[in-house]
Amino acid sequence: MDFAHRWLLAAALLIIASILAGKLSSRVGAPLLLVFLGLGMVAGEEGLGGIGFGESATGGIAIRDVHTAYLIGSAALTLILLDGGIRTRRASFRLALWPSLALATFGVVITAAITGLVAAPVLGMSWLGGFLVGAILASTDAAAVFLLLHQRGGRTSERLDATLEVESGINDPVAVFLTASLVGLIATGASPSGIEIAGDLAREMGLGLVIGAGGGVLLLRLVNRLDLAAGLYPILVLAGALAIFAGTQLAEGSGYLAVYLTGIILGNARLRAARLIGRFIDGMAWLAQIVLFLMLGLFVSPSSLLSEAGPALVVALALMLVARPVAVWLCLTPFRFTLPERAFIAWVGLRGAVPIFLAMFPLLAGLPGSASFFNVAFIAVLASLALQGWTVAPALRWLGLELPAVGDESERLDFDLPAGHGREVAVYRVAAGAPALAHDFATLPLPPRSRVIAVLREGVVQHRESLERLLPRDLVFAIVPPESFERLDRLFATGRRGTAAPRDPLGDLPLDAAAKVGEIADLYGLPAAVEDRDKPLAGFMRRRLHRSPSVGDRIHFGGVDLVVRAVAGDRITEVGLDLEPRALPFERLRLRTALRRPLLSLRRLLRRRAH
Amino acid sequence: MDIADLLTPDGVIASLRAPGKKQVLQELARRAASLAGLHERRVFEVLLERERLGSTGIGMGVAIPHGRVAELTRLYGVFARLERPIDFAAIDDRPVDLVFLLLAPESAGADHLKALARVSRLFRNAAICEKLRGTDNKDALYALLTDGSASAAA
Repeated sequence: MDFAHRWLLAAALLIIASILAGKLSSRVGAPLLLVFLGLGMVAGEEGLGGIGFGESATGGIAIRDVHTAYLIGSAALTLILLDGGIRTRRASFRLALWPSLALATFGVVITAAITGLVAAPVLGMSWLGGFLVGAILASTDAAAVFLLLHQRGGRTSERLDATLEVESGINDPVAVFLTASLVGLIATGASPSGIEIAGDLAREMGLGLVIGAGGGVLLLRLVNRLDLAAGLYPILVLAGALAIFAGTQLAEGSGYLAVYLTGIILGNARLRAARLIGRFIDGMAWLAQIVLFLMLGLFVSPSSLLSEAGPALVVALALMLVARPVAVWLCLTPFRFTLPERAFIAWVGLRGAVPIFLAMFPLLAGLPGSASFFNVAFIAVLASLALQGWTVAPALRWLGLELPAVGDESERLDFDLPAGHGREVAVYRVAAGAPALAHDFATLPLPPRSRVIAVLREGVVQHRESLERLLPRDLVFAIVPPESFERLDRLFATGRRGTAAPRDPLGDLPLDAAAKVGEIADLYGLPAAVEDRDKPLAGFMRRRLHRSPSVGDRIHFGGVDLVVRAVAGDRITEVGLDLEPRALPFERLRLRTALRRPLLSLRRLLRRRAH
Repeated sequence: MDIADLLTPDGVIASLRAPGKKQVLQELARRAASLAGLHERRVFEVLLERERLGSTGIGMGVAIPHGRVAELTRLYGVFARLERPIDFAAIDDRPVDLVFLLLAPESAGADHLKALARVSRLFRNAAICEKLRGTDNKDALYALLTDGSASAAA
């Protein structure tokens, strides 16, 4: 019996330590997942805790085998994918489905292939072994990226967010498939035809889609129909998702794809107790991340790691500097991503929990030398988290892709109104220096359909009629349609930060999106084609962008830039005028423009010859 | 381009009391009209026309109303420090208390943009804004506005 108590105590203390260490690490800005990993190592077999995995455990507490680790890992990954799905808004697909799909399929294969080409000779493996390393490392982790970005208060454009997010959701099933297939190939020594592999892929993904969609809709109905104690709804969702995952896996489909799809369905439909479920699953996903990284830290033995560190680091660098950039470059070429955008996506392909999990596959299959897969995965994830993780925010700034932070969401509490016609109640604690403080209470610039219903000052409800101005730390209760949250966040929750007013990356002057191109051109002496003069700015920019607009997108117009400041669905609603557009890195690297002049003169030369 | 090229000491209103955006624009139009020898009404309409395309409140309490007037031969600036911040429908919803009016001739072309950029850069300097808010002495204000331009250009 003591065994169980000791085990529970150790696990609970480790998780508490991780949460505390995580809180501390966000102060110094260290990548959080790295902290969990480190903690696992400290607690691990060769560290202070002496907790071990596998037979060689020396300490008193041991998880017996890799099967247990796989069990924990699958459950953790299911939760992470479910959470990722729930958070993914339908709008993200509008912006990013096709690019993400390209990255998650061709991108994964290209990344795995290039990494494999480097890994095989460097690690002294067969080609298949090399590709297996590539496949293990091929999937990215958006949660890690956003965690790091938001820790520093950075914000990217919705398009980048969406692309990274959706990519990381759908590349996991592909990487799992690739890894499992390669492990199978190596273990059995069989050489199936391309058709067989394609068939397997179609079956896995097809079943994943069907069961995921069907299960998702079923689960949604179940939650919305049943009257339960509120606390049971998240548990129902959790169990449902695990059932969908495991069921699909047993039917030889991709449970990973299925559970991600289930998440998307639940996250985008009217779901009872949506916030309760969202918060719970979010917490569970955190727990899953912590557990996965702790487990990896426990699993690895630093002594065997050291001997392989050199070659593994070479593989990790090849992945970050060659394989990922090439894959991103090739996959995004058809989608009109700018060079800085592609560079950013290439750089922040962070490796997270999935490679760690996938590295267990060769262990499970008992492949010879499978410990080195684990060690390489460990080093690559470590290198990626440290090198890329620490530089995400500076890279964003350097590439000129950073958008102004919106109001601090954490200062807001919101509740669904059961019959609120799409409106919600939000509660703000007014930040010091918030714009709202400078307005009279009666003339607060509130967005349409929103209203302040009560103000609480030091716990006392204020009379709205006699209230002149808000004060910092007042609690404001407002009814808000969801599309206006951002404006209210800005109004109540953005404090005055620092002393220097930063340059607004969305332009110096706001312009009405309905203003005619001709009016703007005349006002500032800008060149406009006659046929464009009567077009509204919104339509003009939309056409020039050649893609679904996203906040932060810009077009050159004369000597200035027009910047998308706000969108509603596919429509540009606010435009900014950037008077002094900054030259961005890579701007000079525009191959097509750089080559145009020599090409033109060559053509002229040839034409002259012909005459 | 320096602020001193746009702004004369006569173009500085040290302490303007006005209840709203419209009145502020009116006051600024009056001053600009008398400096440039135009009709007040004409300038005011140009400014209103520009505000219709989007507020010129650029955030952090600053607005740069501007426009083009055919009859002008050079750029004119007028600066006003408001006694009480007013709602300007600015980009960040903050009320405005520093206003710089810029009028450009029809022929100004790129100079108009350069001047606007120069002015908006000036007001992005939070230290200068604080100092501008801290004094209602006309000469001190003019010195602050033009000094900044010399040092920033260097």
